[in-house]
Order: sequence, then structure tokens, then C-alpha cells
Amino acid sequence: MSEVTPTEPQRLAAEARDRVRFEEEALELSDQVYRVARRLVGSREEAEDLMQETYARAFRSWRSYTPGTNLRAWLLRILTNLNIDRGRRKQRAPEMQPLEEGDYFLYNKLEEASREPVSDQDAVVEKLSQTDVVSALSAVPHDFRDVVVLVDLGDFTYADAAQILDIPVGTVMSRLHRGRRILKTALAEQATT
Amino acid sequence: MTYDDICDQCEEWMQPFMDRELSDAERAEAEAHLEGCGYCRKRYRFEESLRIFVREVCAEEMAPELKAKLAALRTPL
Repeated sequence: MSEVTPTEPQRLAAEARDRVRFEEEALELSDQVYRVARRLVGSREEAEDLMQETYARAFRSWRSYTPGTNLRAWLLRILTNLNIDRGRRKQRAPEMQPLEEGDYFLYNKLEEASREPVSDQDAVVEKLSQTDVVSALSAVPHDFRDVVVLVDLGDFTYADAAQILDIPVGTVMSRLHRGRRILKTALAEQATT
Repeated sequence: MTYDDICDQCEEWMQPFMDRELSDAERAEAEAHLEGCGYCRKRYRFEESLRIFVREVCAEEMAPELKAKLAALRTPL
């Protein structure tokens, strides 16, 4: 059988089908993308605006997406770029104060604060309230928070987070480390005061 | 290495362990230590519960109106 060059109508039909497929897949991911978006910004309104801008841009530039690659990461890359473009900020790490506490710090603090010896680790977690966690996360400086949100809430790998934010993997790791410590320090303060 | 050194190492590994980013050898070493160390095991279990808790309380569902707006952004056929 010889190769048949598709006619123009056939080509257009194939392209329309690819586009519809892309749009459907992107929309199916919108709940997951929103959950990350909501914690990258301070308010529901901002998250909603950002989602609309992101999807408008994604639908316009769908041809630059490579089928079979991580579409959720692709969408979040657009979203984080738009978020930065809003002029609110640049990807610049704030001044660093050394944080001496290790990763067992929060547990140690919470255990210390409870009257009885702790047998159940879930009960220790329940000392924290929803509003404490949400406000502590929103108080983490942007550069660190972006990474914490992508990895801890979005379940992205270090490599995915590096690609989404266009920073080296080593920077993802150090910001993640620091971001989580800032979060835990705030949680420890809230839970013990 | 003393006992404390191993616990310090285990503390440092906790984040990459939870993120599934340790090498196989490091992971095996951490698991072997956790097996015998209640101190570290408690703290790892706490970290696991904490992460689940943070994820749950930070999850805010999208408004149905937004979903409809996003769908309306598709290119008309």
C-alpha cells in the first residue's frame, strides 16, 4: 500500500480531533491543578483568575504540548509563570536566617507540650488545627512555598518541581528543606502558645 | 558510628525518604535503623501523619462555576 498524502479537510479533521482530546485531558486535570493553584496564591479569587488565564493560554498553545509527557506539570508550569508575570514577584530567594532545628523539631515540641507520654503519633498531629496549618503555609515566603506546595500538596517529584519552576533540582531540595522547616516552626509556635 | 550519629543521619534522611528520593542503599539503611529504633520510628510516623493532615486540610475544591468557565474557554468546533 502506498502512502497517501492526506487531503486538507482530512488534515484539519485530524487536528481538530487532537485538539479536542487535549482540551478534554486538560479539563479532567483541573481539580488537581486548582488544588495546587489555590495554595500558591493568597486568595480564592486570585486562584480562580490564575486558573482561567492558565487554561486560556493552554488552549491557545496546545500544539507545544508533547503528547505522552506530564500534562499536569505542563499546565502548572504555565500557571507558575503567569503567577510570576503578574509582577508580584521574581524568583529570588529571600535573605536567609540560619534555622538550627532539625527535622524532628516539630514532633519534639508537640510531645514536650503534651502532659502525658505520647503513644499515638496521629494524636500528636491532631493538636494542630486546620486554620493553623493553612495560615502557617500561607506565611511561608513565596519561593519556598511554591516548592512545598508542588511537592507536598501536588505530589510532584523534585525533578518535576524543578522543571515547573525552571530552577535546578538542588535548589528545589534546599528550598523544600527550608520551606518545610519554616512551616514547622510556625506550627510549633501556634500549637504551643 | 555511635547510636546518636545513626539517629542524626536518620533525621536527615526523613524528608527524602518520605519523598521517595533516597537511593536504594540509603533507603535500606534507613529502614534497617527504623526497625530497631523506636525514637526515630515515632518521628517518621508522625511525619507521615502530618503530611497527610496538611494535604487534607489544605485541599479546597474548585467552585463548579469556575469549572464551567474553564470549559467555556475551549476553542469552538
